[in-house]
Amino acid sequence: MILKRNSPFLIPAIVLGIYMIYSLGPIFWLVLSSLKSRQDLFTLPPKLFFTPDLSGYEAVFGIGAAKDSAAAIGLVQSLYNSIIVSIAGTALATILGTLAGYACSRFRFVGRDDFMFFALSTRMIPPTAVLVFYHVMFAKMGLSDTVSGLIIVTTFINLGLATWIMKGFFDGVPTAVESIAKVNGYSRFYAFRKFVLPMVRGGIAATAGFCFIFAWNEFAFSSILSTTKAKTLPVRLSSAMGSTGIEWTQICAAGVVLIVPVAIFFYLIRRHILMGMTFGVLGKAGH
Amino acid sequence: MSNTPQMPRELSDRVLCGIFIMPTLGVLLLMVAYPFISLLYYSSLSFSVLRPLVPARDMGLLNYELLLTDPDLWQRFIFTGKFVFLTVTVQFILGITVAYYLQRDFRARDFIFTLFMLPMMLCPIVVGFLWRYMFNSEWGIVNVIIAAFGGTKLDWLGVADNAIIAVVIADAWMWTPFVILLATAAFRGIPKNLHEAASIDGVSAAYRFFRITLPLSMPILLIALLLRLIDAFKQYDLFFALTGGGPGAETMTVSFEVGKIAFKYFYTGQASALAVILLIIIVGLSMVFVRYLNNVGKEQ
Repeated sequence: MILKRNSPFLIPAIVLGIYMIYSLGPIFWLVLSSLKSRQDLFTLPPKLFFTPDLSGYEAVFGIGAAKDSAAAIGLVQSLYNSIIVSIAGTALATILGTLAGYACSRFRFVGRDDFMFFALSTRMIPPTAVLVFYHVMFAKMGLSDTVSGLIIVTTFINLGLATWIMKGFFDGVPTAVESIAKVNGYSRFYAFRKFVLPMVRGGIAATAGFCFIFAWNEFAFSSILSTTKAKTLPVRLSSAMGSTGIEWTQICAAGVVLIVPVAIFFYLIRRHILMGMTFGVLGKAGH
Repeated sequence: MSNTPQMPRELSDRVLCGIFIMPTLGVLLLMVAYPFISLLYYSSLSFSVLRPLVPARDMGLLNYELLLTDPDLWQRFIFTGKFVFLTVTVQFILGITVAYYLQRDFRARDFIFTLFMLPMMLCPIVVGFLWRYMFNSEWGIVNVIIAAFGGTKLDWLGVADNAIIAVVIADAWMWTPFVILLATAAFRGIPKNLHEAASIDGVSAAYRFFRITLPLSMPILLIALLLRLIDAFKQYDLFFALTGGGPGAETMTVSFEVGKIAFKYFYTGQASALAVILLIIIVGLSMVFVRYLNNVGKEQ
């Protein structure tokens, strides 16, 4: 693209260029900072070229020099918790959401619209409001600070979204599929399992991708409902502020560790992003 | 019961529907309906989750009265309103502008579009800390850049007026992509021949944008607006990591305040009352959203 004065590309290029610096600069800066040593982090003017230092990552994964330090052990445990909670929560939300989404797409039952609104509300409620109750409930049921408690909450935060997106994907499958199956003597469930489900495989994958990202990023619920053992990585990150100040090297490294899986999943489901971010209302045709 | 041959199959449809819906309905009842009813009940009590042995006292509506006559709480509502208004405005101006310039075909456009979407998928806690790191008054990159251009370094997070700007910059950084996403979808839905006809008639680009593009994009942009309003209203993570509600309590939102009353002071009864108020506001906004969605869905 050659830019001349008065070129019709000049203003768009400037606008998009500035926005790109605003949008991607911070991510670049985070990655760069995560590779800096403690000294390099605070030098002025900031260094663009420096000897990479992996001490932040060592602390997150509990390897190298940070193998036995107390801080590192906490980070590794929380990384492990994050992985378990996100995967289990994603699997449950996707399975339940797929079933509910199918029912909402195919069956006219009393209160269907109310049910859909109810499901949507999970995405709308302010976490702190329901947390006041969860906190009491979890304490009574012995779920406070347990991984299983967090899995329940993680399932819940994604369930409405999964139901809505999957309904959108099932809406895209002609009802003739089941009618033909029925004519051929197959049961409804058989038709669902053998014909309809394979047709929405991509949709299930996209749903799982979104659920995983939101589960992985979740902070508010986990921060109140886990105190020590069950802390997830974002929660552990928020408590990395010791009395000696914030451990920026560890925070930046943990930040990168938190965003890498998200970036990968996001890349895989990028075609469905419009659908995923609008509960499947927009962007139905895959794009 | 009946001897008609179709009966078993119809029944099995209904049973299947029930089996498919029940687990999700169960989770929703347990995690939304039950809490809501319990919160209504709790909000009439004075008790603390920290002292389960102290019997709860019945307060009637006193918790609500105490909250609504508390000038500090009104301050939180005013701040929340300011924040929501500013961040949503910035997101829409930026988002629509960027989407507008992304309409034109150029090399790597789809790639750039995908990259632009990334911030909204990131962990809000990481985003909060990242901006806190960049807004540091001594060595933060934002001040370094300001100083490099000859400006004076600002105490971003220590002064109330700067702190709200800092939060808006961070929140808009994260959520402008959402507006770009929906605006792009809206712009693409406008029939090409409308633009062609207008440009043949010699209508200026600005006129075309304000008279054709924007009005025709309204249905989708309104969806974006409602979602952004709701999300900005309940924003919690970003404040937690970026300002912690400070300086003082200057950037404390209502949703943050609930957390503070409930999990710092442990006034569970009073926190429940505020939670109920918050939920009513959100349910109201959501109902507008859903009614609107249904209308858009029918048109398409």
